[in-house]
Amino acid sequence: MALEILEWIGYATIGYFVAMQVYMLFLAVVSAAALRRNHHLRRFGRVGEMLSSRTTPPVSIVIAAYNEAAGIVDAVRSMSIVRYPRFEIVVVNDGSRDDTLQVVVDAFGLEEVRIPYRPDLDCAPVKTIYRGRSGVDITVIDKENRGRADALNAGINAARHPYVFCTDADVVLDPDCLVHSMQRVVEDRARTVGVGGNVRPLNGSRVQLGHLIEASVPKRVVPRMQILEYIRNFLASRPGWSWMNAVPIVSGAFGIWKKSVIVEVGGLTEGHMGEDMDLTMRVHRHLLDKGVPYRIVYEPAAVLWTEVPDSLRVLRRQRIRWHRGLMRAVSDFRGMTFNPRYRQMGMVIWPGFVLFEYLAPIVEFIGWFVVPAAWFLGALNTTALIWLLLIALGMGLLNSLLALLLDESFGYFNSAADTSRLIAMAVIENFGLRQMTVLWRIRALLGGEDTKAWGNMERRGVGNLARQE
Amino acid sequence: MSPELLNQSAVILIFSVNAILLMALIALKVIHRRRMKRHEGRRKEYLGLLSRHMSFENHTEPITEPIAEDPAFLDALIDMRNAITGDDITTLRRIVNHHGIIERQMRHLDSSWLLGRRLRAAVALAELGDETSADMLIRHLDDREPEIRIQCARGLGRIRWTPAIDQIVSRFGKEIPWVSTRFSDTLVGYGTRATWPLLAYIRINHRFETEGAVLALRTLAQIQDDEAVGPLLGILAETSDLEVQIATVYALGEVGSPQALNALDSLLDSGEWALRAKAAGALGGLGDAAAIPRLVNSMRDENWWVRRSAAAAVARLPGGTDALYRALDDDDQFAADAAAEALTDIGELVSARRRADEGSRIEPLLAHMRSEG
Repeated sequence: MALEILEWIGYATIGYFVAMQVYMLFLAVVSAAALRRNHHLRRFGRVGEMLSSRTTPPVSIVIAAYNEAAGIVDAVRSMSIVRYPRFEIVVVNDGSRDDTLQVVVDAFGLEEVRIPYRPDLDCAPVKTIYRGRSGVDITVIDKENRGRADALNAGINAARHPYVFCTDADVVLDPDCLVHSMQRVVEDRARTVGVGGNVRPLNGSRVQLGHLIEASVPKRVVPRMQILEYIRNFLASRPGWSWMNAVPIVSGAFGIWKKSVIVEVGGLTEGHMGEDMDLTMRVHRHLLDKGVPYRIVYEPAAVLWTEVPDSLRVLRRQRIRWHRGLMRAVSDFRGMTFNPRYRQMGMVIWPGFVLFEYLAPIVEFIGWFVVPAAWFLGALNTTALIWLLLIALGMGLLNSLLALLLDESFGYFNSAADTSRLIAMAVIENFGLRQMTVLWRIRALLGGEDTKAWGNMERRGVGNLARQE
Repeated sequence: MSPELLNQSAVILIFSVNAILLMALIALKVIHRRRMKRHEGRRKEYLGLLSRHMSFENHTEPITEPIAEDPAFLDALIDMRNAITGDDITTLRRIVNHHGIIERQMRHLDSSWLLGRRLRAAVALAELGDETSADMLIRHLDDREPEIRIQCARGLGRIRWTPAIDQIVSRFGKEIPWVSTRFSDTLVGYGTRATWPLLAYIRINHRFETEGAVLALRTLAQIQDDEAVGPLLGILAETSDLEVQIATVYALGEVGSPQALNALDSLLDSGEWALRAKAAGALGGLGDAAAIPRLVNSMRDENWWVRRSAAAAVARLPGGTDALYRALDDDDQFAADAAAEALTDIGELVSARRRADEGSRIEPLLAHMRSEG
């Protein structure tokens, strides 16, 4: 009897695994088709036309900064040189305990101003507003600390343009990222309410004065693993979601939103560990409920570079936080799962997210016990066990290689050594690293006080990353 | 089939696909990169070759058939076209015609099924095309690929092909927004030659194709032709569509003719806040100080956007800064706030502090801010 149950669990696990791989492969193939077209279009310079057009909509870049003194100036500098005709930068100092505020004020020669501030979105009280008119249109909001979401809400309140680009202070923008992403808005201004961009890890790359000089793959295993993860995520899934108009998450580091829609849904939710997914899903639900035609798209050519955790300790904290955010989103949007009212989002993408992201660690964890137990009890012979492990390894590799192949069209990593490192990583990550992330996600599912803290990222500052590699 | 055989086949299949992907990755990395590098090298060589042909009238270095067919040569021609002026353009055109570049690209645009090749051809025709390619460019304004439609319009604009203006304008209402916006950019390039076709389109379509009419009005706003003011006032009097009204007001403000003063002034009493705000902004664009009293009155409007727009408009007018300083003492707190914001926006506070003359004119603004605090 026990053997039979074990066998059934084994079949279910394998079935789940096959379904997950088919789903991911489907997204990767759709993404490949979308990227191929995008590659052709990128080669024939639409950028220049947008830059010289007066119909290009203006954008407010909103940055939430908390204890970011090390990198805030470089980040703002990289933002100030983006190639875009009309934009302003709104930095929100979220009650930093270091000298983030002073560093920005000094670096950009800002002056304290007192101008009307309209709190369309609820947020902590604003203490002071600073503004500068020399070159860059920059506004700094100094407010009491109440978290990233609250800071972004304050920044959105202060934004003067119809589109807001919400990002972080530990990023370096590609100079053409705004024009590429806003091109998607101009394509269909009436329907486009959100655009997500391509977020890439910065660790190991060379940065000078807020400019990316050369992208490179770090030698350290932890950031290298994340580079591969980001490439898989941003190139082998998101273009597919976008093609189906069912992007379930516009990354918090790179999200452009129509301000009026953010205000309609009440802004970002404070205290939510996955506030970017929460916002994206609320926008979907709100607009589908209203029956308004809309689209939220992903633009792979719009690139932003960000600092990713450098140590296992910080990575663990980040992954637990992400999975807790996902857990809350699964609970909050359970009404959308397999609900035809929410079309492709409700019927395909969100259920896929729940099944293959939320439940994946549980099923994988069960697999770890069931497969050895079946082998031990004789239900699975050694040869079959090896075949199964090879299939698992092969499918994992397939996904990574496909993603790397798609990434080649962007040509960020020029040296053969970088590509070799990533290919090696695609193999190595299957022996311990992936399992570790599963354990962290299980830890998140189990809950407990230590999983509820946001935790600090321990930033080194974007300019210092390469030098310390 | 036994489970073991099934497993075996699956593993072989998966690893074969992996091997193919790995090889493709390596091939892309090595072969493609090398090809691109060689392409780049040839492009530079061809740029040198073209420069020599431009510089020396009797230069005899041959441009052979294989060179003329090389995509790197096409890229070099496009680069060269964007870098030269005057007589050099004639020389370049002679080379382009002599080697049948236009005909070849027209063939590619018409018959190739490769998107990359068709796009390259469209870009080449947009950059290098002449009157001989105009008919084809007009025909491809209806191409299935939006980017090609854009490039064709751009090409027509580049050779200033006037008969194409009507063709481009007539597609405003039917096109997807991305393409129609780029069409609008092309028409701006035509300048005042596009004014009357645009006005005719607006007159005929403003009731049925609001989106197209609004874009046409925005295009007129950028062309800034004084001759458009009269017809625009006529459209403003005729239309009841709010979007069209707003776009017309915007266009009138951008053209900036004092002829529009009375019409815009009367719109400050409109029941629609969006129209009041736009009219206030447009009055700022006319440059006539006579509008200041009415705009100061609008700074007391019930809607904050109207107040902000009115204050910003006052700031743009001659004598507007003084009016804003006076408005800081206004009994209406909202009007005073709007004035303070506009003064800050034009850099009064920062520049005054830089000049270290806070004690003079800037004092009321500082006092206003202190009182708010």
